[in-house]
Amino acid sequence: MFAVLHIADFALHAALRHEPARRQAPAALFSGAGKKSVVLAINSAARAAGVERGMTAPQAVARCPALLIRSPHASAETEARAALLAASFALSPTIEETAPGICTIDLRGADAAKITPAATLAVTRLHHLGLPATAGLARTPLLALYAARAATEFLAVTDEQSFLAPLPLATADPPPELARVFAQWGLRQLGDLTALPRDEIVRRFGTAGLAVWQRATGGEPRPLRPVAPPREFSAAMEFEQVIETLEPLLFLLRRFLDRLALDLVAAQLVAAELELTLRLEDETRHARRFRLPEPTADPEILFRALHTHLESLQTAAAIIAVDLRLTPTRPLVRQQGLFETGLRDPHGFAETLARLSALVGADRVGTPQLRDTHRPDAATLVAPPAVIPPPAEPALQAALGLPLRRFRPPLPVRLSPAEDGTLYLWSDQLQGLVAFRSPPCTRSGEWWQPDRAWRRIEWDIALADGGLYRLVQIDGQHFIEGEYD
Amino acid sequence: MAAVSEKLAALRRQLAERFPTARHPSGRVLRTGVPALDELTGGLPLAAITELVCAAPSSGSHLLLSHLLALTRGGRVRVALIDAADSFDPESLPADLLAHLVWVRCPRPSDTTAKAATPALQAADLIARDANFGLVVLDLRFAAESDLRRIPGPQWYRLQRAVEPTDLALIVITPRASVPSAQLRLVLNVPHDFSTLAGERPALAARLAPELQRQRLSPDARGNASAG
Repeated sequence: MFAVLHIADFALHAALRHEPARRQAPAALFSGAGKKSVVLAINSAARAAGVERGMTAPQAVARCPALLIRSPHASAETEARAALLAASFALSPTIEETAPGICTIDLRGADAAKITPAATLAVTRLHHLGLPATAGLARTPLLALYAARAATEFLAVTDEQSFLAPLPLATADPPPELARVFAQWGLRQLGDLTALPRDEIVRRFGTAGLAVWQRATGGEPRPLRPVAPPREFSAAMEFEQVIETLEPLLFLLRRFLDRLALDLVAAQLVAAELELTLRLEDETRHARRFRLPEPTADPEILFRALHTHLESLQTAAAIIAVDLRLTPTRPLVRQQGLFETGLRDPHGFAETLARLSALVGADRVGTPQLRDTHRPDAATLVAPPAVIPPPAEPALQAALGLPLRRFRPPLPVRLSPAEDGTLYLWSDQLQGLVAFRSPPCTRSGEWWQPDRAWRRIEWDIALADGGLYRLVQIDGQHFIEGEYD
Repeated sequence: MAAVSEKLAALRRQLAERFPTARHPSGRVLRTGVPALDELTGGLPLAAITELVCAAPSSGSHLLLSHLLALTRGGRVRVALIDAADSFDPESLPADLLAHLVWVRCPRPSDTTAKAATPALQAADLIARDANFGLVVLDLRFAAESDLRRIPGPQWYRLQRAVEPTDLALIVITPRASVPSAQLRLVLNVPHDFSTLAGERPALAARLAPELQRQRLSPDARGNASAG
């Protein structure tokens, strides 16, 4: 049993698939950009408006003023071809790229009950990717192709004779000289030709006649020329018109990811990393690598990683090309430990961190890590761990006092000593009588490095109106470093 | 006043009849280990906002935070601190108590034209929708009162809606009562005295005695399952 996935007017639909708003509009694919270019392919709306293949652009526009004129787009065709192959690989590992827009799939050995739902799903996936495909299922590759061409969505041929008989004779693709003779004989349909004795056809027309007769009967099963599954998971597109807004770029990336996810699933792989490169009009590039918290082939999750980054991205120039590469890996097969407290939703966590980074800055989100130094306020932020480590043994000596709330930067203050020895503290935000004051504590460090050496004197103070603060003296200046809270 | 509360009760009954599937406060709490607080409220309500008003300086909001960090560290519960004024001092805590903390240091008002409370609320909204956190602390203690007044009420209710389907406790630390959607409002209004700087921190935390100003959870919902 063979299946064929077929996309009629492949080059035209490849060019139109990234214009969803114009999918229903009459459109034609022309051989070039000049006046002498002719129509190569048309969609059904253009056909209904009277546009025909071989017309020049003025002739076509005269018939249909609203006609969308498109020319062949190599990178769009490459991407559409990859999408067709990805949908085909989901059905079977043995597939043949018979012609542009035609994939023949060897389903011998497949579970008969699953073939029809799988073929219908492949058609639906291609529709979702913007490619109006049909599928045919039959005993031979040629018959499956006839079925795919005749289908509105999916057609399985069970009674070959009754399916073939009413098809037009042109279906068997006779050479022009034979087609003329057959027309003179009054043969219009495949059934008319196959009703004649095969030997008589061979005696009159030789091997050419035999080939046409065999094609008219649906041909015979043949070995396919298999296509190798993709080893690289990438998609690229050069734009005819530069992209200046986010929406068309996101639309395109979503299409890329839907197709790449199909490729990954067919290869039983998942993506560990994404690499996005945007080529800009000013001949610069914006490149970004996204390491996924947990490898996945879910296009929604992959897309969210890109979306979050692109939402906050502003490029200096318009985008002329995009390239997306996925780094594949084997899926993780691991059971979490009973007491392991990993992330419930690793992708959600990564996305939250990315959004927070976009909001407050990448260097302002993370898990604080104390550095091996006595220098004040020297903690750094590191990426939060995926698994929280078990708690350490409790310290022998519990922490003392209240934690500090730092003023960043410290508040400059003036101290006014009164006659009775008390101090009054003044600053823009804080003032009051110092009721209690600890003995001074001198701290210093890195004195061996002149450019990094620091020295300070610290006091803990309590204001008479309430409030505990840390007062520091640095280079003769006094500051309130924070409030004990 | 009684008439108003009767009308409110009637309205709530009608809404409950009309929308029987609407979510109600779960009654689940995160026990804090602070006796006065746990006896008063059962703990911090999950899937709800708790407002901690620090009406006086040095009243112990970061002491409570450090205590909650120690508590959640034992359960390896992930904690987020959204620090609107960038005032958290990691060096005040043992390094081990920071391993499960995600610290969001909001830009200071002088860094940007925007007010610090705005990105802090946006960050809280993002984190509240993440399933990986068990406790979120939004610290607006040093936010200017004018900034807090400018936060529209619906924004707080939006935050409450974000928290409702989750299992996290959200604490908002403010200098004055500002969160209309808070299910629980506690007030710390007694400044610590100078001698507390020499006291052991766990003992100080155990002596915290916040005043209960609002509790919207039904009393029978209290004391159900404990997460702490």
